[in-house]
Amino acid sequence: MSNVPVLSPQEARIADEAALETVPIAGRTRRILEKIREGRPRIDVERGYYFTKSFQRTDGEPLILRWSKALLHYAENASVYVDDDQLIVGRCGKPGRYGILYPELDGNTLREAIVNLPSREVSPFDISDDDARLIVTEIASYWEGRTFHEDLAKSLAPETRKLTYNDDESLSSRFIVNETASFRSSIQWVHDYEIVLEKGFIGIRMDAEERVSRLDEFSPVDNTEKKPFLQAVINVCDAIILWAARHADEAERLFAFETDEIRRSELRRIAETCRRVPANPARNFYEAVQSQWFTQVFSRVEQKTGTVISNGRMDQYLYPYYARDKAAGILDDDEAQELLECVWVSMAQFVDLYLSSAGGAFNEGYAHWEAVTIGGQTRDGNDATNDLTYVFLRSKREFPLNYPDLAARVNARSPKRYLYEVAETIKDGAGFPKLINDEEVVPLLLSKGARFDEAYDYSVSGCAECRMPNRDTYTSPNAYINFAAALEMTVYNGKMLYYGDEALGLETGEFEDFKSFGEFFDAFLRQQKNFLKHAFIQQHEIIRLRAAHFASPLGSALHRLCTESCTDLHQPKIEGGIDLGYFEYMGYGTVIDSLAAMKRVVFEEKKVTLAKLKEAMLHNYEGYEAIRQLMLNAPSYGNDDPYADEIGKILDMEAQKFTSKYSMELGVHMDLRYVPFTSHVPFGRVVSATPNGRKAYFPLSDGSSATQGSDVNGPTAVLLSNFRTKNYDRREHAARLLNVKLSPSCVRGEDGTEKLIQFIRTWRDLRLWHIQFNVLNRETLLEAQKAPERYRNLLVRIAGYSAYFTELSPDLQSDIIARTQHESF
Amino acid sequence: MGESAIVFNVQRYSLHDGPGIRTVVFFKGCPLRCRWCCNPESQRPEREVSYLSEKCIGKKACGFCGDACRRGAIFFGGFRSPEDGKAIIDRALCDDCLSCAAVCPSKAIKVEGEAMTISEILDAVEKDGLFYDNGGGGLTVSGGEPLAQGSFLVDLLAAAKKMRINTAMETCGYGDYRTLCDAASYLDTIMFDIKSLNAERHVHYTGASNDLIVSNFESLCRDFPGLKKIVRTPFIPRFNDNVEEKRAISGFLAGRPNVKFEALAYHRFGEGKYRALGREYNMAEHEG
Repeated sequence: MSNVPVLSPQEARIADEAALETVPIAGRTRRILEKIREGRPRIDVERGYYFTKSFQRTDGEPLILRWSKALLHYAENASVYVDDDQLIVGRCGKPGRYGILYPELDGNTLREAIVNLPSREVSPFDISDDDARLIVTEIASYWEGRTFHEDLAKSLAPETRKLTYNDDESLSSRFIVNETASFRSSIQWVHDYEIVLEKGFIGIRMDAEERVSRLDEFSPVDNTEKKPFLQAVINVCDAIILWAARHADEAERLFAFETDEIRRSELRRIAETCRRVPANPARNFYEAVQSQWFTQVFSRVEQKTGTVISNGRMDQYLYPYYARDKAAGILDDDEAQELLECVWVSMAQFVDLYLSSAGGAFNEGYAHWEAVTIGGQTRDGNDATNDLTYVFLRSKREFPLNYPDLAARVNARSPKRYLYEVAETIKDGAGFPKLINDEEVVPLLLSKGARFDEAYDYSVSGCAECRMPNRDTYTSPNAYINFAAALEMTVYNGKMLYYGDEALGLETGEFEDFKSFGEFFDAFLRQQKNFLKHAFIQQHEIIRLRAAHFASPLGSALHRLCTESCTDLHQPKIEGGIDLGYFEYMGYGTVIDSLAAMKRVVFEEKKVTLAKLKEAMLHNYEGYEAIRQLMLNAPSYGNDDPYADEIGKILDMEAQKFTSKYSMELGVHMDLRYVPFTSHVPFGRVVSATPNGRKAYFPLSDGSSATQGSDVNGPTAVLLSNFRTKNYDRREHAARLLNVKLSPSCVRGEDGTEKLIQFIRTWRDLRLWHIQFNVLNRETLLEAQKAPERYRNLLVRIAGYSAYFTELSPDLQSDIIARTQHESF
Repeated sequence: MGESAIVFNVQRYSLHDGPGIRTVVFFKGCPLRCRWCCNPESQRPEREVSYLSEKCIGKKACGFCGDACRRGAIFFGGFRSPEDGKAIIDRALCDDCLSCAAVCPSKAIKVEGEAMTISEILDAVEKDGLFYDNGGGGLTVSGGEPLAQGSFLVDLLAAAKKMRINTAMETCGYGDYRTLCDAASYLDTIMFDIKSLNAERHVHYTGASNDLIVSNFESLCRDFPGLKKIVRTPFIPRFNDNVEEKRAISGFLAGRPNVKFEALAYHRFGEGKYRALGREYNMAEHEG
């Protein structure tokens, strides 16, 4: 065994590039990629501007109609672009990386945001002076007083509001019971793209027209509800067809000037394709890809979907076109891959702009997750992998880009070749694909009332969620709840050091007076329950208010239940739908470890008194290192240690019991989830020192992963701790995000691939929902912090997604380095 | 089953000690003293104190170990860094009573070795049972030298087999042949070290003759021809990292059934552990 570290393929590639001093540029998509990585993202104002202008003219009309008219206004006026080298066209902002504005959400923060965005530490954006002026005079001025954000704040009772917002003008988040409904108008979502590919928007429009002709002209419901809905569908079809045609015009315009013969023929094909789709059904792979991409981009214009609209099961709905073209000899795998990569580089240019610092901190590294799902099962429960599945995996290995977020479904019947290629792709080190477990997801969907064929056909959506297109009907974003803050309130009798003397939580008694661990644990559970209470109150108001603030004519047109009942997707109740929501348990590992440490060190071993522990925490353990070490070295979650895991199981159970009792009052399955994005960092910034030895304002543990660096028994123990803290007898739970960091030497060679497959199979057998891997040497990350310019291409897995390491904040970089790296022995 | 053995580590997710994902149980105590040994904590059969000064938080913040030590074997600060006030253990005075480890909050001082019964070991091994099933993984006994724990070892392997756990053993081959036979009958794989066929150098570098090792291996091949055997040789500079040795070993193995050979490269990852145990690392002089 030599001391030379084993590099992952990604690391080796970066090392080679550094040695050559130049990045090898091969192929059109590489050229596009190189160009867009220059410079910071810019804000494009057109979406916000045209939307606002249209809304000013439609005051008083039904909301869904207003929304469709705004989209039509955008389609008529917005700039269209046909980028150099591109084969697939469609973007909703200037060349390069861009973000767009959704002032209807939190436009009240616009004035402040345009000052802060260029300079903020996390996910900065550039904006021109002219645009900044336009934002203030034309956009912000209209929305102030009309946004969802302000309405929500007004509607919350003081007790709930003080756990939600700071008492400042921009209603900044307290990061305690954090609402996420004001920075996105829908949770992660997946359209039924097959409707577009099979019918085209002309077909969808014809259906709507036919429905209009059959309306009862005397019915009040038909007149006030169904008619505006159907007219909105017609408008949005017109909008996207027009918008595509304007791309055809632009391609023709460029064609006239183009001298290069090859590019001329490409432009001709682009023009022909944009005249054809998405208006008409797709006839081949090229048209199918273009049609899907237009639909995706226009969906971005329509609304801010959490983590950006997902792509669904691309290897399934594109397969018929791919197979037909291949059989006809007009497409090979290289060409198919190039077209897909044309989409990936377009995705990468759209950047999910969050105005509020809370939103920015939730999605560091400009994160968005247009999940592409591959593998899994067919509607009748057979293995779904096909030749196109492997094209996606190959693209992921060969093309150094963090888009799309590739999600591979795994089940007991996944073929060996599929698992092998998935493992080989993971070994590349960029963190893709993430894995989602059919063996856990499908039964849970069934338990919520889905049919087998619907459950087998789920798509991964966003970070780790799963959606059944045409059956899921709940779009409301939900609370992220900081239970480490609840723990702090149990220590300081309802207060938090960060928020001074303000009474925020319950008064559960003075810390020093707890006589037993049981007493303290009960007090914590009361604080936990109080947070849940306010989260659900908050959710109740959010559900009530959203219906009057948001509409989704495009999303509704692509959802069978919406079109059947003529109900907008954002209405709380849609006939025949299954409403799957969730709330987030933040700081799971932090809370478990703190409770376990107190149980062991304070109440059993009696090595430290409560008074002394409190004193140490008040001093952020400075001068109390021995106490900190005792707490740090107590049993902890992630080590397959029943001492800690039993506590975790109770926390999980109590949260599920609460939602089991109250979520139906909200009309929703409100499930317990552990998926933090990057928010465990900002949530940590309000929590002072915790009993597990964590220092003040450090990141919380992320998702269902162990506290950074505390999982010392290896990755099998991490999986088993996860397993043992779950309550499989209940159905009120959804995704648990699990990060595992492996060193490249763990997975080296064929033998390493085989053992990674064995590990994945066991993860599958344990019915854990999600897993993702980082295969990187710690030294590489440290080096990248020192020499960021050399590591611009270094992708790391963060939380449900990968991002360029050097674009993350120093805090998050350190957090990733601190996650335990598992070596094999 | 009430019997126990001293185990110094139960290592899960082990990928390089037999087929599949394995758990390695390391027995404490070894008849050899290989100079390059990377697990010096495996050598002595008794429990002992190990100390990593990097983890020590010093007398000012702590100092508990000094109070706990009854023989006055622990000092603070001094020759390594006078300012840090870190603990220094005088190994000449220390009698491994282990009371310092019990009070150390940062686990800078810890105990190497824990008495475990067969059922405790199997409980620990069974934890990863699901991982074994997906790829032929299982239990690997290692050391130290597992053969040194004779009957306990055989009982453990028999109990593991009863639970349908795949079994492997890493051995230096220096032990009683009857124990080796009894163990082999419960093994799926044996990893047998042959360090050198040169008798003189073997004594010099490992502290023992290779006669017993060579004859044990020959007998094993005769009595258990079907057993999967992996012969491993760590190639150590100046000791056996040369052409004659390699030729001798490959000649010795030629024609034997079910034998695979693996060469191990020398590394010095164990160096820090010598310091932790208050011992000297004797390899520096052998590196060329």
